[in-house]
Amino acid sequence: MGLTWITGLIRRRTGRLLGQAAGVALVVLLLGSLGTFFTAARGRMTSQAFAAVPTDWQILVTGGADVTVAQKTVLAGPGVTAAATVSFADTTGFKATISGTTQTTGPGKVLGLPPGFAASFPGEIRPLVGAADGVLLFQQTAANLGASVGSTVSVGLPGGGSATETVAGIVDLPYSDSLFQSIGVAAGSAPQAPPDNVMILPAATWQQVFASAPSGSTATQIFTSLSSQLPTDPGAAFADVVGRAKNVEASLAGGGLVGDNLGAQLDATRKDAVYAELLFLFLGLPGVIIAGLLTSVIASSGRERRRREQALLRVRGASPRRIVRLAAWEAGLTGVIGVSLGLAGGALMGRLAFGTSSFGATTAQAVAVAIVAGVSGFALSAATVVVPAWKDARALSIANARAVVGTPKRPLWMRTYIDVLSLGAGSLIYWQAVKSGYQVVLAPEGVPTISVSYFTLIAPLLFWVGAALLIRRVGGTALKRGRAVLARLVRPLAHGLSGVVGAGMSRQRTPLARGLTLMALAASFAVSVSVFNSTYAAQSRVDAQLTNGADVAVTTAAATGLPATLAAAVSKLPGVAGAQPMLHRFAYVGNDLQDLYGVNPGTIGSVTNMSNAFFGSGTATQVLATLAATPNGVLVSDETVISFQLKPGDTLQLRLQFADHQYHTVPFVYVGIAREFPTAPHDSFLIANSSYVAAQTGNPAAQTLLIKTNGSPPAVAASVRQLLGTASGANVQDIVTQQKITLSGLTAIDLAGLTRLELVFALLLAAGASGLVLALGLAERRRMFAIASALGAKPRQLAAFIWSEAGFVAIGGSILGGLVGWSIAQVIVKILTGVFDPPPEHLSAPYGYLIALGGATALAIILAGVGMLRATHKPTMSILRDL
Amino acid sequence: MDDVLVRAGSLARTYAAGGATVTALADATFTIRALDRVALMGPSGSGKTTLLHLMGGLDTPSTGEISWPALGPVGSLRPGPVAMAFQGPSLLPPLSVIENVALPVLLAGGTERDARDEASRLLDVFELTELAEKLPEEISGGQQQRAGLARALAGGPKLLLADEPTGQQDHVTGARMMEELMLEADRTGCAVVIATHDPAVASYCKTRWSVKDGRLITEVAAWA
Repeated sequence: MGLTWITGLIRRRTGRLLGQAAGVALVVLLLGSLGTFFTAARGRMTSQAFAAVPTDWQILVTGGADVTVAQKTVLAGPGVTAAATVSFADTTGFKATISGTTQTTGPGKVLGLPPGFAASFPGEIRPLVGAADGVLLFQQTAANLGASVGSTVSVGLPGGGSATETVAGIVDLPYSDSLFQSIGVAAGSAPQAPPDNVMILPAATWQQVFASAPSGSTATQIFTSLSSQLPTDPGAAFADVVGRAKNVEASLAGGGLVGDNLGAQLDATRKDAVYAELLFLFLGLPGVIIAGLLTSVIASSGRERRRREQALLRVRGASPRRIVRLAAWEAGLTGVIGVSLGLAGGALMGRLAFGTSSFGATTAQAVAVAIVAGVSGFALSAATVVVPAWKDARALSIANARAVVGTPKRPLWMRTYIDVLSLGAGSLIYWQAVKSGYQVVLAPEGVPTISVSYFTLIAPLLFWVGAALLIRRVGGTALKRGRAVLARLVRPLAHGLSGVVGAGMSRQRTPLARGLTLMALAASFAVSVSVFNSTYAAQSRVDAQLTNGADVAVTTAAATGLPATLAAAVSKLPGVAGAQPMLHRFAYVGNDLQDLYGVNPGTIGSVTNMSNAFFGSGTATQVLATLAATPNGVLVSDETVISFQLKPGDTLQLRLQFADHQYHTVPFVYVGIAREFPTAPHDSFLIANSSYVAAQTGNPAAQTLLIKTNGSPPAVAASVRQLLGTASGANVQDIVTQQKITLSGLTAIDLAGLTRLELVFALLLAAGASGLVLALGLAERRRMFAIASALGAKPRQLAAFIWSEAGFVAIGGSILGGLVGWSIAQVIVKILTGVFDPPPEHLSAPYGYLIALGGATALAIILAGVGMLRATHKPTMSILRDL
Repeated sequence: MDDVLVRAGSLARTYAAGGATVTALADATFTIRALDRVALMGPSGSGKTTLLHLMGGLDTPSTGEISWPALGPVGSLRPGPVAMAFQGPSLLPPLSVIENVALPVLLAGGTERDARDEASRLLDVFELTELAEKLPEEISGGQQQRAGLARALAGGPKLLLADEPTGQQDHVTGARMMEELMLEADRTGCAVVIATHDPAVASYCKTRWSVKDGRLITEVAAWA
């Protein structure tokens, strides 16, 4: 009988079956592809973390251990692929005489590197000018000394005396924080700032220079590289690397302490992995739930018919168990079609969006997620078909199964105001969270466990639930009590029939309010996802711009700075919208050497983003205006304000290097706080007027040129490089390349890919919710339209009924959904504020996508309405024969 | 010529069903004039309803010709000169009883006030005034059928086609309903064609045709 039943369903109820299967497919597609995507993303985050560390371990040789033996022990450690001995020595300072003027620096470090170090540990040293090996001088030291390639520098030895070396190249040490870390200090102790003055020598030279250095002034570290074969999960990889580090320490038996750079990196990545999970929860799961609801609505649209069919079966002696079994056949068929379509669609989507059907996950991971998604699809199918059939079979007598009449009792949630309570509770939790400025994810450094404030995550959940139920309530109430208003609203469509149409809609309030809610939910999902993603993309660009400085940035370490005519020449290049020079100097604040940036406050904002988040004493406009109005003004960091007990208007004496290469005191006036600034480091720095810095130091040379483009940044960067020539020694970097280089752990999950995926889903859901629900709702009332047609209703009169309902669902759902989506995006952005760097000041609206969303929804509704109109144009004889 | 409401010649209606062709009506030739009272009698499945649908322009004949000389082209028959009363429940579920009855007047372009006045009058005729604001699901099948008949008479049709109009009524109510129907038809000058099994219902008509196996026999003697 099952087969007969299924055959009958396929032949007679094709639309309903396909509708249900489409809903299941959407759930499987969403769950499968997002699940695989995030599983793959975790693996990518681990490999990105691995790639971001130039030296995995720095093992400090201690206790007088034999360095050669220690190196062999380390090399024998699990997964170790390379080990190189690096010598460190203290120096009392460097001295150089340039153009007859002698410059002296404070204490510093001298490194001794073995041959082939750069090849084994690429990224640790970045050559800027001159040779890549030999005697190398750190760019900041070179700036302090005014030294360049070929300069002779005297190295002050710790035990007294000095050695003289000729500089072969100027280099940058991008990872100086980790390179000069204090190994073996207690976790949580204050980090030690890297030295400003560094020289790098070949190992043999270092040995000669520091052969008689007193003990305690030199140290040896074994720089270690590990195999990239790590567990894909960042948390598991962290535990694995930490375990291996302990293993090596145990093997060295007190002869070495591991500075675990890779462990520290993975430690931070673990937090990003949790954020990635939260993104899945916030941005993916609502879509899955809405797709499930959509399926449920599609299935329930045939419930009355199914009840009648059940009643007939029971009249003919079918037991409730048999009826449930038949429903299970239907659910099985829907499940098989839906799951197959969903998985195939997921694979196709992966291939289209990411070039691989597994989204970059391993086969085992992809299969595991596919199984979970498939089981969920079958469960959904069973929940929407079998469960209602089972409930009906148990609860209804044959007589009342055939006709359920009367006004249904108001649901419990409506009577108990669950919607209002949910919104209230959600607001309270949200307010508490925002007020206390908390972080949803806390991953204390070195501690294996991560703390996630799941309680706070309830806020968006409560907002979703509350908003959905409130829309249902408001929609129902508006339809019930607003008949007269409805009639007036539909008059342009329905003319003389407006009263009847309004009355009809009022009495159809249950399905219409359900359609309105689903439409609003789908729209709110699309809006919240797209707004969140757009805001994230905007902030990601701000972050990249902050690091790079502008769309294109030209920097030089040369003391003479960039050519004075460069800004004017660059401005004339195609694709350049503007160019602004920026001075980059160093200044002593007390004993602390800080970066000093000289800018024109009135024009700097024309070439790079000046976010309010960059400043701590007002908006960007206010702070820059204050700086512009105070020629000797300076913006300092929060730390400097606290350390020096500064108040606005206080004079701050800074020591700057003048044209004579000597440091002289220059008075500045403290006018505000700068927390971040394009190209500036994350720690303390200073911002001043470039004209004042140039006038005081007698050196107007700019070290940086910030360029705003109105074309392709890489293309502009190429043009600028050509303009500068190969011998300039200047570095030209564009924002697109920078975004790829400075991927954070979270950015590594390729939110752009996720965005594409989610936006397509959201579009499908919105179109599905509007079109499908409307089509099915109207199809269920084909009989009504056939009767109206038999009474003589003209197509335009039938259209009045159809378009009025469609308009209510589509326009009402879009407006309410847009409002809810925007609010939820605001809540998610606030709660996941740790994802953003810097935090956004406002949400970004993806207008193009929202227009496409509106277009797709309108198209789906028009198609559904036109389809129904065509079907009602001529009354269906099979229906009329039944009358 | 002007009093010929429907003229049909050699009408046939066939349906395709599972690869076979089913003949619902074959070679029907007839004329219906103004003020005619015709009872269509015949067993279930004989083709009565098909014939009514063809008369009302709801269906298109497979072969043969049908025209409505005094009523106009097929597109102008409903709402207006031709009205249908269906055998089963045919009220629009989301509309109240009075809104259902008023609907044909509104569909024909009447004002809401006119439609409501006409509907109120007809509900009074069929003793449904108290149920005016009820929804179809809130009243019985018999009451729904009476409301359907009232709706068919709304707007003053020239030809009423009623399919088993008293099928769900008891004898007494059915008889009262038929009397009211005929009085109303007389008042408005409306021709009536009724498909029925019930001789008592057929007795209200001067002419009685029978339909058997899709064949229309019009040479049945006048009833009274």
